[in-house]
Amino acid sequence: MIQLNWRTGIAGLFAGTGIALSMTASSLAQEINNPGLLVHAADDEPTTLDPAQVEPGEGGETVILQVYDRLLDIGPASPELIPSLATKVPSTDNGLISEDGMIYTFPIRGGVIFHDGSELTAHDVKYSWDRAMAMDLPEGNAGALIDAIDSTDVVDDYTFRVALKEPSASFLNSVVVSMVASIVSEDAVEANGGIQAGSPNTFMAGNMVGTGPYKFAAWNRNENIQLEVFDAYWGDNANLDVRIEIGGDPDVRVLGLRAGEFDTVETDPSFIADLEGAEGVTIYSGGLLLEPLHIGFNLNIPESALPDEDTIPANFFHDPRVRQAFNYAFDYEAFLNGPLAGYGEFNSHYIPIGIFGHDENAPRFAAQDLAKAEELFRDAGYWDEGFSVSVITEEGNLFALMCLVLKDSIEKLNPKFRINVLAVAESVFDDAHSQNPLEYAMWAKNADPAADPDFYMQAYIHPDGEWGEVHGFSNGYRDGEAVASLIDQAAVELDPGKRAAIYSELQTLLYEDPMWLIAAQEGVVMAHRDWLKGFAMQPLWPRPSLKFALFNK
Amino acid sequence: MQLRDYILRRVIILPILILGVSIIVFVLTRVGGSPIGIYLSHEMTPDEVAQIEARFNLDQPVWVQYIYWARGIFQGDFGWSGVAAAPVTDVFPNKLAATMELAIASGLVAVFLGISLGTYAGARRNRLPDHATRIVAVSGASLPQFWFGILLLIVFWANLGLAPIGRSDASIWSSISHPTGIYTVDAILAGSISAFWDAIWHLILPALTLGYGATAIIARMMRSSLVEELQQDYVDAARAKGLAERIVLRRHARRNALVPTVTVIGLTFGFLLQGTITVEIIFRWPGLGRWMADSVLRGDQATLMTYVLFTSVLFLLVNLVVDVIYAYLDRRVTLGK
Repeated sequence: MIQLNWRTGIAGLFAGTGIALSMTASSLAQEINNPGLLVHAADDEPTTLDPAQVEPGEGGETVILQVYDRLLDIGPASPELIPSLATKVPSTDNGLISEDGMIYTFPIRGGVIFHDGSELTAHDVKYSWDRAMAMDLPEGNAGALIDAIDSTDVVDDYTFRVALKEPSASFLNSVVVSMVASIVSEDAVEANGGIQAGSPNTFMAGNMVGTGPYKFAAWNRNENIQLEVFDAYWGDNANLDVRIEIGGDPDVRVLGLRAGEFDTVETDPSFIADLEGAEGVTIYSGGLLLEPLHIGFNLNIPESALPDEDTIPANFFHDPRVRQAFNYAFDYEAFLNGPLAGYGEFNSHYIPIGIFGHDENAPRFAAQDLAKAEELFRDAGYWDEGFSVSVITEEGNLFALMCLVLKDSIEKLNPKFRINVLAVAESVFDDAHSQNPLEYAMWAKNADPAADPDFYMQAYIHPDGEWGEVHGFSNGYRDGEAVASLIDQAAVELDPGKRAAIYSELQTLLYEDPMWLIAAQEGVVMAHRDWLKGFAMQPLWPRPSLKFALFNK
Repeated sequence: MQLRDYILRRVIILPILILGVSIIVFVLTRVGGSPIGIYLSHEMTPDEVAQIEARFNLDQPVWVQYIYWARGIFQGDFGWSGVAAAPVTDVFPNKLAATMELAIASGLVAVFLGISLGTYAGARRNRLPDHATRIVAVSGASLPQFWFGILLLIVFWANLGLAPIGRSDASIWSSISHPTGIYTVDAILAGSISAFWDAIWHLILPALTLGYGATAIIARMMRSSLVEELQQDYVDAARAKGLAERIVLRRHARRNALVPTVTVIGLTFGFLLQGTITVEIIFRWPGLGRWMADSVLRGDQATLMTYVLFTSVLFLLVNLVVDVIYAYLDRRVTLGK
């Protein structure tokens, strides 16, 4: 009797499960989960929600984009600037940029209300920018403002004026639309700690008072961030409240999308294969991210600093033939079709595709050429004796895979060549990576995104720029002065045609004298539920390049 | 020595032990390297790194850093968690409550299922139910938690939509206050049936995943003990008196079989706490386990030091209490001179 009951129970369980499966599968296909709410599964927890503290490319920028406004914005369809809290985009034609390119005037929108109920004026704009510059936090991006701005002025309650230190062709695209230039409520900041030079504001790091389409509701650490529609928004109101689910296992995020629990998920392109053909899931792809995936060559290695297994001399990368050989040897196709799952483009230049100044006709490394690589290594004198060199990167992501492709490419070329991939925890990498001089010959990461070529040129190419100085580019450029001169000319050249010609010349020059190995430009790809309407991505917006206010269900 | 003097002496020694533990925790953590990495971004210049070091007093000699840390602890400041992007003190209590709730729920699952299955199998030795229970027990002990958890997620969350993920429905969670941080208790205190049901609903899958392994151990222990008890003379005597088999089993044999099983249950709780790391990651449970795993991987030393210090001090306190109870209960214990 007992056995009969037991068997009957098991059989019933299976039957019940089968029925439930079939019923639920059919109902899942029809129902919209969480109506009125957008659930986005994010990769990372923000480190701060304060525009003055947030690091470019970091998770906090995703939330800041939704809750704060800036003077200008970039629309979803094109890289053109559009008005936001400023009612006009300054130009020399409309007289809002002075003839000498030094003074920018922004007419400020009236009737804009902060989430705390206070009204926006030009004083808030000045306060927001001055605050970021006064705090000048090392983890933040205040340098973008400080480097460009000489002074800020309130002309009247609805007119804000900025004087630059020198003419800048990239001020609007690189500075005004950046997250550090977001407009915060002066009342809210002053009521909660005010401004302290060099110190973060704890209140603003965990709370937000902006003018954007969303107001901040809650941040449950390691769990979720909740945003609510701001009904008094000056523009078109958002349609859905938002819950950003933080972190967790990537497989679970993919499962959640399939289950309809999440509406959008952040994943590596390698996870897209798991979602192809999934019912109710749309895979969006189009355009490219503006964060070239790169491997840096260090030309400024201190004596005896390299890992023990490295046999290269300190001046290994001083020789442009070696840098070129690495670029020729890399298996671009394997990287693009493997880790990137085909979502991306070959672009070995430091001006990404989609950015002003990118010259699609400039010569580039786009295919593996082992014969050319061998010839260059032979000329440089490393073919017979071989070498061993380490590349440091973060573990468990695209960067580590990029290094493994490099390892395969170089070691396939000559058994005497050895690449040691040091895949370490992010904090260990950041610690190693922030040293100057850098104690590794190579490292792998991606660039920060920007809307203007000047950012990339200054940070990654200029011999006196951020990485030029750390990597000792002046030790290796065939003609470093020419590179520096062209970059400096382009930075202040206001004629687009002349500026584009300068960048074109730079790209040709840098093909012969590469300072980086750029593996690919990653494609924009994201999976979302079918029921999500109005889906759009704009690579010029911070990752994951989404504005939730555009969506509906 | 009087018991009162013994307690006094142990309480006086306690701060010294905690001081020693804090030094060991600090030194061991620093052996792993500087804690600066978690506060850095990869594009920082050396000047910017120096500013960050100064902000967290990491530009000072190590012993001065220890003093800053220890002084902070006395002031209730356990440092800044780079992983949680908040003061450790603000985050720790809620995470601890979430983990304790999960561990206790898993424990209840394991105890209820373990004793039930063990009794069922023990009473039907070498029959089909006994073999079936053995299969359940062996699979529970051998299935990797992460695999079993993902399997449950695929079936009950992703395909059937019968169970949720995470700890709560955000709107229900925010509808009540959380004085204890333990969702089920807070829901009862708030008198909210919907919140209580939401808490239980979210607990089921992770508690089942975590409790399954422990269920297996308890069930096997219970089964063996019961089989042994059922062979004792007093069981025969009870049967000879004409007692129903059900009463012999429940009132006599099972009660005695529970004694060794309860010992195993106590030990199992430690196993459950360890297991929360995997389960919290898979089920997006916002507890200490997931936070600690992130902290270890990302080098968040402020969080790790707090956790290790907390568990060490807890261990010292529990030891003290156990010793005192032991001394009280068993007067043969020598209390020292």
